[in-house]
Amino acid sequence: MDDVLKTAKSCRHYAMCKIDFLGTGLCRAGEEKHFVSFYPQGRMDLYAALAENRIPITEKCVEIAESCDLCGKCDYQCYFVTEMKPTAVMKALKEHIRLHLENGGDVLAAEKDSILDGIKEIVGDDWATNDRAIALTYSHDPCPAAEPRLPDYIAMPGSSAEISAVIQLLNRHGIPYAVRGNGSSVMGFVMSEGAVIDLGRMKAIVFDEKNWLVKVGPGVAAFDLQKAAVKRGFRVNAAEPSALVCANIMCSGIFSTFSASYGTAADNYIDAEFVGHDGSVFRLSDPSAPNLFGFRRADSALPGICSSASIRLHPVPADEGAAFVPFASLERALDFARECAGRRIGLAIGVLGGEYVSVFLSPTKKLAAEVKDAFRDKLKMEYLVLVIGDKYALHSIKAMGYPYFDNRMIRILNLGLPALTSAKWLDLMDELADDKPFSYLGLAHFPDLAEAALAPSSAQLVGDVDPELRPFFEKLYARPEMTDPVWLNMFRIVSARMGREKHVVAMIIYLPIDHTLIAGIGREFKRIADSHGLKNDFGFITPLDDGKRCVFEYDYYLDQNDPREKIKMRQAMMETGMMIEKFSAATGTVTWIRHVFCQGFSRKESFLYSGAGTGP
Amino acid sequence: MTGIKAGGDEPHLLTGATGFLGSHIMAGLLAEGKRVVIAGRSSSREPLKERIRRLLHWFGMECREGLLEFHEIDFLKPRMGLGRAEYDRLRGRGCPVIHCASDTRFTEKNRAMVMKSNVESLATILDFATASGARWFHFISSAYAAGIDRFACPEAPVHSLRFNNVYEESKALAEDRVAGKCREEKIPYTIIRPAIVYGDSSTGKSLRFNALYFPVRSLQHIRDIYLDEIKNRNGMKAAECGIFINDEGVLHLPIRIFIPHEGKINLVPVNYFTKTILAILEKPENETFYHITSNRPENMTRLASYAERFLEITGIEVVIGAAGADAMKNPPEELFDYFIKAYRPYISDKRDFFRENTDRATGGVLPPDFGYEIFQKCMAFAVAADWGKRLFD
Ligand SMILES: Cc1cc2nc3c(=O)[nH]c(=O)nc-3n(C[C@H](O)[C@H](O)[C@H](O)COP(=O)(O)OP(=O)(O)OC[C@H]3O[C@@H](n4cnc5c(N)ncnc54)[C@H](O)[C@@H]3O)c2cc1C
Ligand SMILES: NC(=O)c1ccc[n+]([C@@H]2O[C@H](COP(=O)([O-])OP(=O)(O)OC[C@H]3O[C@@H](n4cnc5c(N)ncnc54)[C@H](OP(=O)(O)O)[C@@H]3O)[C@@H](O)[C@H]2O)c1
Ligand code: SF4
Repeated sequence: MDDVLKTAKSCRHYAMCKIDFLGTGLCRAGEEKHFVSFYPQGRMDLYAALAENRIPITEKCVEIAESCDLCGKCDYQCYFVTEMKPTAVMKALKEHIRLHLENGGDVLAAEKDSILDGIKEIVGDDWATNDRAIALTYSHDPCPAAEPRLPDYIAMPGSSAEISAVIQLLNRHGIPYAVRGNGSSVMGFVMSEGAVIDLGRMKAIVFDEKNWLVKVGPGVAAFDLQKAAVKRGFRVNAAEPSALVCANIMCSGIFSTFSASYGTAADNYIDAEFVGHDGSVFRLSDPSAPNLFGFRRADSALPGICSSASIRLHPVPADEGAAFVPFASLERALDFARECAGRRIGLAIGVLGGEYVSVFLSPTKKLAAEVKDAFRDKLKMEYLVLVIGDKYALHSIKAMGYPYFDNRMIRILNLGLPALTSAKWLDLMDELADDKPFSYLGLAHFPDLAEAALAPSSAQLVGDVDPELRPFFEKLYARPEMTDPVWLNMFRIVSARMGREKHVVAMIIYLPIDHTLIAGIGREFKRIADSHGLKNDFGFITPLDDGKRCVFEYDYYLDQNDPREKIKMRQAMMETGMMIEKFSAATGTVTWIRHVFCQGFSRKESFLYSGAGTGP
Repeated sequence: MTGIKAGGDEPHLLTGATGFLGSHIMAGLLAEGKRVVIAGRSSSREPLKERIRRLLHWFGMECREGLLEFHEIDFLKPRMGLGRAEYDRLRGRGCPVIHCASDTRFTEKNRAMVMKSNVESLATILDFATASGARWFHFISSAYAAGIDRFACPEAPVHSLRFNNVYEESKALAEDRVAGKCREEKIPYTIIRPAIVYGDSSTGKSLRFNALYFPVRSLQHIRDIYLDEIKNRNGMKAAECGIFINDEGVLHLPIRIFIPHEGKINLVPVNYFTKTILAILEKPENETFYHITSNRPENMTRLASYAERFLEITGIEVVIGAAGADAMKNPPEELFDYFIKAYRPYISDKRDFFRENTDRATGGVLPPDFGYEIFQKCMAFAVAADWGKRLFD
């Protein structure tokens, strides 16, 4: 496989090129045409399919290729997350089409189709298609357990009435459909041989500040909503920035480090409008509406299409800051996180492993690997507990006797990462016999010294970034928000980097913060992945409901283009599922996220506590 | 090693041979042509035999490996972790024991492990000595087992109830147990108490770079941080702390070293330690304590001036007394103070260690004075060995 094809086939489908998270502006064609096919992600898939002769060249194929003006924005975006440069693929795509046309090759026109005509009548000519090139870009994702499914139709409705009408039409013709946000759940949920309903056009954001809510359409991405909220002095609970908010609630209930105080699932919204599978429209606050607050401990189907949601707004304290509290063991980190949650100290709390922290902070894989070693070997930091809170919360952490990296230290550390890996003076910290671990963080002048020693600067940080992109990244990292842990947690633009080295498959469970249980399940996660030779690591833990429960993510990684790794991952996922079910049955307190998919609008209490629904 | 003599038949059983002092005792005995039974443990990376081989290579004594015998032991297990047959065979030989293994960590958080290694595990090794009818039991303790109740420290059992740290406390407790059990079982014993041992005074070679070395290494790293900042960046951070390169091209690094009182630092070179211990082993006196200490301990001011000269810096000042709440103004000074915290009791020590027994054993041979020449040799070796990281390169 040549490098260009390899890049094309390595698109992770995390949809980061569909949000303007670096301030470069979006791919112009994508923004205009909305179909994923016109975004870099779709073009990557399209080129791979053409290069492998999997589809013919269609009219849309030509349009897609020609609409790319090789502006290079996607290089910045994609490199930031995956270290890939898609414009090489875009060039190859254009070249492929050019040669085809020059050689007088056929261009397949869209087939006449009465059902398509019906859909177009509802949504408008531009917003429905059966073109094979477009269909291909909706046909698969890197999930190792999902087979590709090429849809017959793709529809992009613009209102709940249109959604309803499209559904009724599809029902009349017995055509199955999948509902798609940005497709970044990457679990094979958004594919169908019938129709894919892409909600990406419905991007309305309407604030109702008096009622502390913002009403969003199902096409609104978390990043865009957070940006609008922050502009007005609010915050929403958001996870992946490219995830569409309604999709994210439906799929996983939205869990983030802020879930420690803002909650998850039904805590996220005040009301929501749905289109049922029969085309009927209902609001959740209506007493006669179907009950989506309950929860069934089983695999479920989508209860309908969320056509808008009124999302809760949260106040943002002016004196907010972050504390990264280092720990040498998970046990101590969990104790601390639980204590903070129980005492309601901090708004966001997350126990992060060395893999996450180093990957999130580093612009390249190489640096991330070095930093991970330095954190573990030199600084003895196996885990970091992130707490975001106001000045009183941060004072409390100090008063509890925990030294931590504050905003200033995090900025110094982040911009000085390359120097950290070679800093000899850090060896002394490691060898130093001290009763209080990490007590150096309590030295009044430690930040000054670290500044002198690490020489933090964006130029240093991007030292091993691709030379072509380096000037851009140097400017980017000089922006204060890029090293501000509060901003980074609200906007989450670095978390997709967890899939930079390889595609990530997250194993997620809800359970009590119980050392023995968490260590036991953690060991099993590791054992299973190791037995299949899959890279794996602790992800994160966030306390929920005052620390009575938590959400625990453990990550498995695979090369999505390696068929053997895909088989191994499928096997590992199956074994992991059985293992979780076993713990769940034995304890009665462990819930697998698999059962939350499609039930994310439920009350969290319904799935966190097995006693729910078993009352007198 | 010089003065190689033909050995007697009776090997010593030595614990702690993978450590700094134990390895020197081993090398000293081998140099005299004596056989040694090594009772030690493998590391996570290397089996015991390989660890010792690496050390023999370092001493340039590979040719003496034939005089060694290896036993993988674990004091925390019954029969020192040996199989019944191996234990019985070893026991039957009645070797004199040199117990040099010890957990040398100071910190309170390691209390449980330090006590377990240094005190509780003694029962197993003392039981072995009893069962084997050991001809001698030599216990390597520490001059600092004396504790801090009194400044005059005779070569006699400890009477202190207060100690600087758990290490000192464990050594005092261990001495008491060794003496009690040996007296009870009629095993002749000695208690050997070195002060702070540094590298070889004639070659500068060392295997450990803590104690004396750690503050110098800290200063070196702090110096390098600011030198780099001045040379490769704008030197603003250095200037804020009053750090600059003076007209002679020397870095002025104003750091005050706070010590509680005008005390001393008691240092002996490892070659002196080895020579002394061999002399004691030659003619040990039962129930005798030996201080392997310096008769002319150093003071911090002189050591600070050595460090300045060696590191080519100026500005190091020793201040008697604690730093006031707002006295710690300067980032390098604060960091240095933090680095030397654990060593503070040993760099301003008022204890005076008597050494009549040692003088008698050595015929009055004293350790060399710790002048700049020795300091320079030792530190140059340490820097070349990257403070232990490139020791075996
Ligand atoms: C790297 C990475 C990290 C992640 N981290 C987190 C995390 O920390 N927290 C978290 O909560 N999630 C996390 N996720 C999961 C992901 O963000 C969610 O699955 C989210 O739903 C994806 O949004 P999307 O718009 O791409 O949804 P899609 O993948 O398009 O859809 C997800 C599901 O929702 C359905 N759906 C979509 N829109 C609607 C609608 N309007 N009405 C009804 N159903 C709909 C789809 O049919 C599908 O079943 C992560 C994913 C990745 C790849
Ligand atoms: N160095 C000095 O300046 C100094 C001064 C005064 C007194 N002393 C005394 O001299 C002795 C040796 O000190 P050192 O500087 O040589 O220390 P060292 O280098 O740290 O060596 C310690 C030795 O003890 C062994 N050991 C530690 N814990 C053990 C355990 N639980 N079970 C079995 N073996 C164990 C170590 O084995 P591993 O290698 O397998 O860990 C190593 O061989 C100690 O008794 C110490 O108290 C030293
Ligand atoms: S290079 Fe092409 S695909 Fe990439 S952002 Fe620009 S127009 Fe879009």
